[in-house]
Amino acid sequence: MKVRIAPVAAIVISGLMLVSSLFYLFVQPERTLPTPLWAGGLLASIVLISASAMGLYRSDRTIWRFDRVICLIGDMVLSLALVLLITTDTLHPKGEITLVGLSAVFRHELVLSFLVLLASFLLIKDSINLIYRYNQRGREILVFTMIRLSAVFTLLLLGGILFLLLYKGIGAISWEFLTEPHIRLGQEGGISTCIEGTFWLVTGAMLISAPLGIGAAIYLNEYSTHTGLKRAVTIAVGGLNGVPSVVYGLFGLAFLVANFGLSLLAGSIILGLMNLPTIILTSQEALKSVPNSLREGSVALGASKWQTVRKVVIPSALPGVLTGLIIGVARAAGETAPIMWTAVTFSATPVHKIYGVVPDVTQPVNNLCYHLLNLIYFLGAWDVETNAWGTALVLLMLVLSLNIVAIVVRNHYRKKIAW
Amino acid sequence: MDPPFRRGARLHRKYGDRLVEAVLFLSAITSILVMVLIFYFLTYESFLAFKEMGLKAMLLGPKWHPAGDIFGMAPIIWSSILVTFIALFINILVGVPLAIYLSELAGPLSREVLKPAIELLAGVPSIVYGFLGVLVLVVYLERSFLMLTGRSILAVSILLGIMFIPALATICEDALRAVPKEFKEGSLALGATEWQTVRYVTLPAASSGIIAAVILNVGRIIGETMAALLVVGNVARLPTPLFDAFDRGAIFTSVIAGEMGEVAHGSLHYHSLFAVGFVLLVIVTVLNISADLVRSMIQKKFGEY
Repeated sequence: MKVRIAPVAAIVISGLMLVSSLFYLFVQPERTLPTPLWAGGLLASIVLISASAMGLYRSDRTIWRFDRVICLIGDMVLSLALVLLITTDTLHPKGEITLVGLSAVFRHELVLSFLVLLASFLLIKDSINLIYRYNQRGREILVFTMIRLSAVFTLLLLGGILFLLLYKGIGAISWEFLTEPHIRLGQEGGISTCIEGTFWLVTGAMLISAPLGIGAAIYLNEYSTHTGLKRAVTIAVGGLNGVPSVVYGLFGLAFLVANFGLSLLAGSIILGLMNLPTIILTSQEALKSVPNSLREGSVALGASKWQTVRKVVIPSALPGVLTGLIIGVARAAGETAPIMWTAVTFSATPVHKIYGVVPDVTQPVNNLCYHLLNLIYFLGAWDVETNAWGTALVLLMLVLSLNIVAIVVRNHYRKKIAW
Repeated sequence: MDPPFRRGARLHRKYGDRLVEAVLFLSAITSILVMVLIFYFLTYESFLAFKEMGLKAMLLGPKWHPAGDIFGMAPIIWSSILVTFIALFINILVGVPLAIYLSELAGPLSREVLKPAIELLAGVPSIVYGFLGVLVLVVYLERSFLMLTGRSILAVSILLGIMFIPALATICEDALRAVPKEFKEGSLALGATEWQTVRYVTLPAASSGIIAAVILNVGRIIGETMAALLVVGNVARLPTPLFDAFDRGAIFTSVIAGEMGEVAHGSLHYHSLFAVGFVLLVIVTVLNISADLVRSMIQKKFGEY
């Protein structure tokens, strides 16, 4: 059992060093480093690992293959070199390294933290190998731990984004912020016109993309017998799905702005076309999941094709289609590039409504994303940071709550419907 | 024999059905029409720039200098290549393990948490990523590397790499899930550990899907606009030395989005920006098609399962 205590202790020490080096690397790059602690920790780990390797050598010689020995010795030498580097102060605290003309300075703290991170990882790897006597189980644990860390990273990323925006942005949110237009380049006032403009842009986009997208999906899935056409449409949809949003913006600039000017109409059309592939793909998916027996039953009762589609297929596929539509709304609300030159203006302009109901589609509108973009541009020059955080928070909440609704709708019906 | 009124209803139904089908057909070919229109307008608007500058000077010219009416795309293309490689590295480093976790390791509870989290992360608008990039990532880089400005090729690479982790993980997970259970069970029955099974059975079997996902993500990375515009620094010149990722740069999307706002309609600069967009569109379309080809090619090689 003696063999096992030593590597476990080495893992604990190296783990602490790993965490602390990560902390210095990412959180506090300016603090003075705990270099004596790191040197001590490295030395202790090296001693523990060597001791347990010796112990293992005595009890079982067969596991010491040449490559394993080389690997272990290599790690030990690297760590020892790092200890020497720390203790002899070769990288003294003022040391700054510039590499071959790169426009960055690698400060002593940064390099050291990075090296300690690397070394402690290697030491942990060796310790785990020693505990499991170099069998496959040890390797598996090491790899699976790293794989699990990627999941942790993802959760931390989402949590971090949400926390940061809530923490910094919640102070800007107030009733006035949501109900008043912005004044003085967004330094004061709220974002009401931006919310209004985003609403109408998204509504316009959905009025275009929903019928076209669902219609296309129905045709492809229910009517089309011509495989060539189906293939061509599928390729086009795939292509449209990949077209970068800025290219949609260029297309809108060349095609729509020339005809309609900077206007709500142009922006809605562009956003609608951009959403088209998403809605076609999700609707097709939903239609595909409707079992053929339902269609056959309907046709057997004497219903025509369109009656079958309208009364049987569409209601059954509705949850899936709805999910796609909601995701489309979220995407349209969060896009900036396609509307930058086609539909928006920065100065506060409430949407002009004809008869108080229908918006005047020939006028440009405000937009949350575009407003945020401008506030980011003003960051250094004007006092807009609070309002920028607030705007970002409102935008994120809007988009994420739509996404959550989509997820809930889908999960709800997935559980409910069992064909 | 049908009574006459029934015959009328049937006729009505017949032509009604025809009409509906025609309308649906039109909406189906809209996407083809839009694709053609996009290509037409970008070709049309960029043609003048290519004609004026010459194809070679435009694509390989080492200087992008709007004030002097010199528009060579080499700096933009080079920065985009650098960004793509670094971003893809980060992207794969986290995205593929995440997919493996989701498809092989996660229990029902952690799936229940992680799947929606990934979907939400994919839904975060790119302008919000750009905003956080400016206020968090760029500041961090300035502090750590004592850079004059943190807006750099590295910053945009890190940001884009992180941004598209959900996209990669989702497609890779589907690819990994498509591997039939018998493959894994066979491997485990032979005494392989779970990691050996993943490494030597599941990953190779899903390789077509994973490679296709990576290619698609390259398209997403070079096509992302707002986040790139805000943190890339927007200086279209070749970095010295060439691999200096800490220097400011400009990629396709950031050049277009950054300069189109101020440019005079119809000028050479205007057409050159369309030319940049055209090159971008061609690259992304080629990537999309090759992703499909890779998928079908490797499927042919390994056989359908």
